[in-house]
Amino acid sequence: MNSSLRKALLGSATAALTTLLLAGCAGKNEPENPGTPPRVRVITTEQYLNTIENVFGSSVNMDMKFPPLRRVDGLLANGAALAGVTSGKIETFQRAASSIAGQVVSPERRSYLIPCTPASETKPDAECAKQFFSQTGRLLHRRALTDEELSSYVTAANQAADRLQDFYAGIELVLESMLISPEVLFIIETTEGDVDDQGRRRLDALSLASRLSFFLWNAGPDDMVLKAAESGELNTERGLKRVVESMIASPRLEDGMRAFFDDMLGFDDFDSLSKDPLVYPFFTGATATDAREQTLRTIIDHLIVDQKDYRDLFVTRETFMSPALAPLYQIPASRGWTEYEFPEGSPRQGLLTQISFVALRSHPGRSSPTLRGKALREHLLCQIVPPPPPNVDFGKLENPDAHYKTQRERVAVHLEDPACAGCHKITDPMGLALESFDGAGRFRTTENGATIDTSGDLDGVPFDDVIGLGQALRDNPSLPSCLVDRLYSYGSGGAAKPTDRPLMKYFTAEFAESGYKLPDLLRTIALSEAFQHVTPAKKSGPSKAHEPTEEIVIDEQLPATTTVDAAGAAQETKQTVASIAKAR
Amino acid sequence: MTKPDISRNASRKLTLRGAAALRKRKVRGAAALLAASASIVLSTAAAQPLQEEGQAILKDRKIGYALTHKYWAVYETEGAKTECPQGFNDGPREQFKKLYGDGKKRSIVEAQLKREGEQWHPTTEPESFKFLEAQGNTSYGLNLDGRIGPEDFLSPEGEKGIDNQLYRVIGCIGHYRTMGTINHFENLFMRSYDDARIVIELTEVDDLKNDDAVVVTTYRGSDGLLQDATGEGFIPGGTQRIDLRWGKEYVSQLKGKIVDGVLTTEPADRVMLPWGVTFGTSGHHIFRGFQLSLKLDPQAAEGLMAGYVDVKAFNHHLNTSWSTHHHSYGQLSSPSQYKAMMRLADGYPDPKTGKNTAISSAVRVKFTQVYVRQPEQRELVSKK
Repeated sequence: MNSSLRKALLGSATAALTTLLLAGCAGKNEPENPGTPPRVRVITTEQYLNTIENVFGSSVNMDMKFPPLRRVDGLLANGAALAGVTSGKIETFQRAASSIAGQVVSPERRSYLIPCTPASETKPDAECAKQFFSQTGRLLHRRALTDEELSSYVTAANQAADRLQDFYAGIELVLESMLISPEVLFIIETTEGDVDDQGRRRLDALSLASRLSFFLWNAGPDDMVLKAAESGELNTERGLKRVVESMIASPRLEDGMRAFFDDMLGFDDFDSLSKDPLVYPFFTGATATDAREQTLRTIIDHLIVDQKDYRDLFVTRETFMSPALAPLYQIPASRGWTEYEFPEGSPRQGLLTQISFVALRSHPGRSSPTLRGKALREHLLCQIVPPPPPNVDFGKLENPDAHYKTQRERVAVHLEDPACAGCHKITDPMGLALESFDGAGRFRTTENGATIDTSGDLDGVPFDDVIGLGQALRDNPSLPSCLVDRLYSYGSGGAAKPTDRPLMKYFTAEFAESGYKLPDLLRTIALSEAFQHVTPAKKSGPSKAHEPTEEIVIDEQLPATTTVDAAGAAQETKQTVASIAKAR
Repeated sequence: MTKPDISRNASRKLTLRGAAALRKRKVRGAAALLAASASIVLSTAAAQPLQEEGQAILKDRKIGYALTHKYWAVYETEGAKTECPQGFNDGPREQFKKLYGDGKKRSIVEAQLKREGEQWHPTTEPESFKFLEAQGNTSYGLNLDGRIGPEDFLSPEGEKGIDNQLYRVIGCIGHYRTMGTINHFENLFMRSYDDARIVIELTEVDDLKNDDAVVVTTYRGSDGLLQDATGEGFIPGGTQRIDLRWGKEYVSQLKGKIVDGVLTTEPADRVMLPWGVTFGTSGHHIFRGFQLSLKLDPQAAEGLMAGYVDVKAFNHHLNTSWSTHHHSYGQLSSPSQYKAMMRLADGYPDPKTGKNTAISSAVRVKFTQVYVRQPEQRELVSKK
């Protein structure tokens, strides 16, 4: 080894060690926080798809969609802890399970998805079934199956194989039932006493593995994470750091963060987005799909590939382009997705100026400063804009006086009515800056022949145009703190409480210290004491019992009895689901 | 959260982190300097007027268009009373019935195959059927020969000397009229198959309204058209990559000028255009004395392309692109059409016989604006 190379390696090793030490010290200033309640969350479509893909590979084709969740405190993910499960939803789960099980045992896939070959295809093979279910069941349940469970699955598979005279048919039937098992479909957090801090409770290692995995990967834990949990490594500070570092370095982080930002930005609204084809003939279904994808690609590239400052997402000219989007940006395109940088002076700077934001936050046939301002406040700054009062007269807006040529003139009506003015003052000034883009996201400088005035202000920071708005947003202190808040909520399954403020401040300060780099923030949250610890769950007395219903209702907080013994609750849920499925 | 399969698949194929790793590292060293300069740019950007998007349409004095609609030009009046007072021509089924519907017993060779042979080996010999030529003296088209002759038409706008004898032939064949099968399917397949993509690029353009000298180049493109949300129109601003690998023969250059937004070109001796139709057949048409007359705007171009088509080649294209059942739907008798085309042919006489071999024609066309992307000039590894 020559000396310069040795020097360089020594230098990088020192830097790495310093980083590690600093990272090790990062949690020292964490304020005391009781943690979050342990939760039961229903698995989302994407989490299910990602998990299935991780277990069985991408050759298993799944065209399925579970019913949407309710957005709670800014995130659909929070709704997963408050979801009701209808019999219709169970049917959807079962259809998916049936399709997946059929594909796994299909002749073209069984050779590589089933880890053994039965002695005879027409007879049961307990050893082979055991091998398959112990491996697959562990990944699907996010824990090793108990001997009793495994025996039960193998017995059922043998019985089915015997009656159907087909080993693979037996595997298929039992795999289908496993895929709709409540313990697969619900992410159930269980707790244990913290041996290092008497009196506190923490997630047990397997629950922590799941929380980390769904937080960072939007999928169940893989073999590496499960092994760390099973071996007790995850309970050690060093082991937890190693696992978190591996998870952050994994390509699966992209899946996880795509899911998070899709949720945070409210992109589920794309599923119901429609534009009037006569007003915006150039805005097609392909445009909407690619607009969503463009923003997600921009975010992932900026935050994970380049590890740049989160705030700069709102001023960056770098993005990705597709043939379906390029006509709206009025530029040539190459085939497929390619990197693209808007020229200097372009009005396209930052996420606010991408089609995903300005088209999604518009009406079908016209732009909307109010919807845009509201989305900016709610999705990016975590502020709540109250809904319009029930007696508001929309007539002036929906049948505007032709004398008013621009949206600025039309929405001025809002400000004349004191009942409207309060809220519109916090949405319209920044929404009007985005009037540079029509309701489909195309750039414009005039509306009905009149020059568009794009000046405004954001929380007292004035600007002349959309670039100024982007800069004002970038510098707004609520921007990074909102991301922190949403990420913590997303990872822990519920909104942060007022008592979590010191913790959020700490996370935000750490985020700033790191130069607003997302991987650093993810690391800080994932390694925090608060993320691992749980508050005592509320006891649910008989008076709080739910009326008999077709739905299974999952409380945000588990009853006290299930905090320490979630298996009992899970079993109860499993039986209920099974009985509903059987009744149908 | 949900995301559509398309993006899901896209993200699976290539993680951004993996793909970009190499590229990003290369520029990492300059990142700090760039970041510093970026902050300066950002702080001053707001003070400068925003650039208009879309000015790039005439960037480098060029603009491209892709063909979206093409119809062999037939001047139609209400109920066809003026141009087809005796109705429309018979097709294969009607002719077959007239020829062999007398009840006599014939072999396949004497009937079906005989007629089939006449379709593939047509002659100018007279036939028993009366061919109904389009009547009247009005037609779409261009003055291809620069003269005003007795057989020439008057354009609907009143221009004299219009050469479009093909109209006389096809004007009373249902296939070529509005809602006719050829009209419909030629456009459907042209839009469906990228190898039938006709692209023109105007270069040396100073002004899309008036410019006394521009160059028009024809190409075969290789990308799909972008249909709009109504399902009936096409989105301007798509990109067409030019096929210079297999499409060199479709490249022709024309001299032109733009007057009051209308492009006209000087006649080009030979222009070959891709004209594949059913199920991806790779047909083409060759126009002699080819001219364009197009009203231009930044989003679209509309008008006529015209020239003389070789009769035999036209007939061969018809028979190889469309089956007899297609001909039957539009009452198009290939042998009868051939005889009429040869009879009315008005250009490019055979040097030996003196008989005209080509017939004047016109096609009504619409284009949508596209960005033309020339293939990258790649150096062969062996030459490095």
